Amino acid sequence: MSIKRIAVLVSTGRHPTSGVPRHCRNDSLALTIGIDLSQCKAAKLDVLHAGNANNPALMDYLALGADQINVIPTEPDSDIVESLAERLGDADLILTGSRAENGQDSGLLPYLLAEKLDIPIIANALELKQVGDRLEVLQFFPKGKRRRVAVTLPAIIAIHPLAAAELRFAYVCQQQGKIHSLSAPVGRGQATSIMQWQIQPATRKPNKLKARENLTGHERLLAAITSESKGGTVVNDGNSVEKAQVILSYLREHQLITF
Amino acid sequence: MTTRNPIRISPNRPQQTSPSGLKRIVLTAPDTVEMYAQPKPLRTVINPKACYLVIAHSERGTLSDHALQTIAAAAILADAETNVLALILGELTEDLANVVADQVIVMPELDFEHFQPELELANISSLIESIQPTRIFMPDNHTGDGDLGRRLIARQKTKTAATRVVELDLDHVATYQAGGASIAQITLPEIILLAANTVDTHLPFTALAQRSNLATGNQASNNQALASPYQDLGMQTIAATEIALDEADFIVSAGNGVQNVATLESLAHALQASIGASRVAVDDGKFSRDRQIGASGKTVSASAYLAIGISGAVQHLQGIKDCRHVIAINTDASAPMVKRADLSVIGDAEEIMRALITLIAEAKSANLKVAA
Repeated sequence: MSIKRIAVLVSTGRHPTSGVPRHCRNDSLALTIGIDLSQCKAAKLDVLHAGNANNPALMDYLALGADQINVIPTEPDSDIVESLAERLGDADLILTGSRAENGQDSGLLPYLLAEKLDIPIIANALELKQVGDRLEVLQFFPKGKRRRVAVTLPAIIAIHPLAAAELRFAYVCQQQGKIHSLSAPVGRGQATSIMQWQIQPATRKPNKLKARENLTGHERLLAAITSESKGGTVVNDGNSVEKAQVILSYLREHQLITF
Repeated sequence: MTTRNPIRISPNRPQQTSPSGLKRIVLTAPDTVEMYAQPKPLRTVINPKACYLVIAHSERGTLSDHALQTIAAAAILADAETNVLALILGELTEDLANVVADQVIVMPELDFEHFQPELELANISSLIESIQPTRIFMPDNHTGDGDLGRRLIARQKTKTAATRVVELDLDHVATYQAGGASIAQITLPEIILLAANTVDTHLPFTALAQRSNLATGNQASNNQALASPYQDLGMQTIAATEIALDEADFIVSAGNGVQNVATLESLAHALQASIGASRVAVDDGKFSRDRQIGASGKTVSASAYLAIGISGAVQHLQGIKDCRHVIAINTDASAPMVKRADLSVIGDAEEIMRALITLIAEAKSANLKVAA
């Protein structure tokens, strides 16, 4: 199966300090990878945004190479997943970023969309490559680990912020590009479970969860003068070979080395 | 007229030596020193009416701090009638003493090294079906649990959920929204993906942590081959010399006690570890500035940190606070690094490094012979 239609979902970002709307860097990486892939496979590219068509942040995506951005208008109580799923039914590949810079920032959208469309999802992708009728994805993991996963199409791929894509910002593209507002999807279901978040500016530090302890004064004093030892062992005896052997067996015991 | 004897205090009053070495006079002499370290009470649930389920992947047979924090969160929030059940995906070789769950289910075949989300979801869903947990807790990390948790949230549509939870108590959870600009609160949902370091793992109680075989009935579904759209092509690890220090999993770090940099480099090569250094070693010109670990250098989170000839200034200890296993080689047994380290070897750094290199070479060649 060849890739005929690639959809890229972009969200608006904000500058972390000034709060000025701008492109979301993670989504821009997805857009750049999508543009490269669509030129390579001669596939149709559909850049989608759910939200306000007048948001100045969308201009950044035009500058980054999107010819046209299709905006799905949303209302506060509408379900974005529902309206996006309607539009994305025939897409072979859906690309988006792993983390938003705005809104709820829960990282859930790709998963909800995948469940809705009943297609596979792979998050934290660094590289994509089409092999036969499948897509090979390099997944990012911490501590220098990477995993290769092959997935059948259609699929949703969420791009990791460390993906190796070079953003190309061109003023002429920004001037030539168009922002096209789609009509509000009809028959759209209301969001089933809109959770009522109480939102405040983040001025305080979050409180750590601690177990409540009802201690007597004596116990508190004891707790102050004794400390739970970390149980680190100290090796003083033996020659250097024996000491080295101790280190080696510690590493083996905790499976930190494989030999 | 009766005379009352005055209360006499024996000049040889019973006394005991506290762990810190001070002599303390006691009025009623305890039999042993155990008085100082009383065992924590055991958390027991007599009539479980509800159940909290904690799901986490194990890493090399142990649970990460983040996973232990998540289990602690469930144990703190659980009341006297709530069972805390820990589902560990992957092997668990670690002693269960610090897992404060009432019951532990281990599914060794669902480890993080293999990408099998469909199988994991099928197993978890059938477990949820059978035990009907009131709440589900998972660590929101990048080593499998965050991904699996989101798949679970998408699958369990009727359950309320919150991700990247940075604050929680019995009434609410809070997460950062809009890129950290605002903090949003909501009543405690049913699925909670917990961010790291939001829970104090110091608990006034322990729990049984019984190995349960509740899941044995579910294992049957493993045999039915699920038509998975994913195919795992294998995990690969980037060469230690190529990855950034903050991302490294094994670090060999040098301080003032290392005279011969070449030995250290060959040790790091033998262990396939990245090289770090303390400020003193960097200032001496032995290492480049980007190798510095500590307050003014890099903060690392390696699984294994081999500190060679590092005394352990506070600034340096700050940089390694997230390291799991710290091994120190030092000539001074009273150095702060020895207090931090899980294993300290007192002796000459150069000699021990050379002995270690020889032992590693022997072990590797023995391995090759076995393989051949």
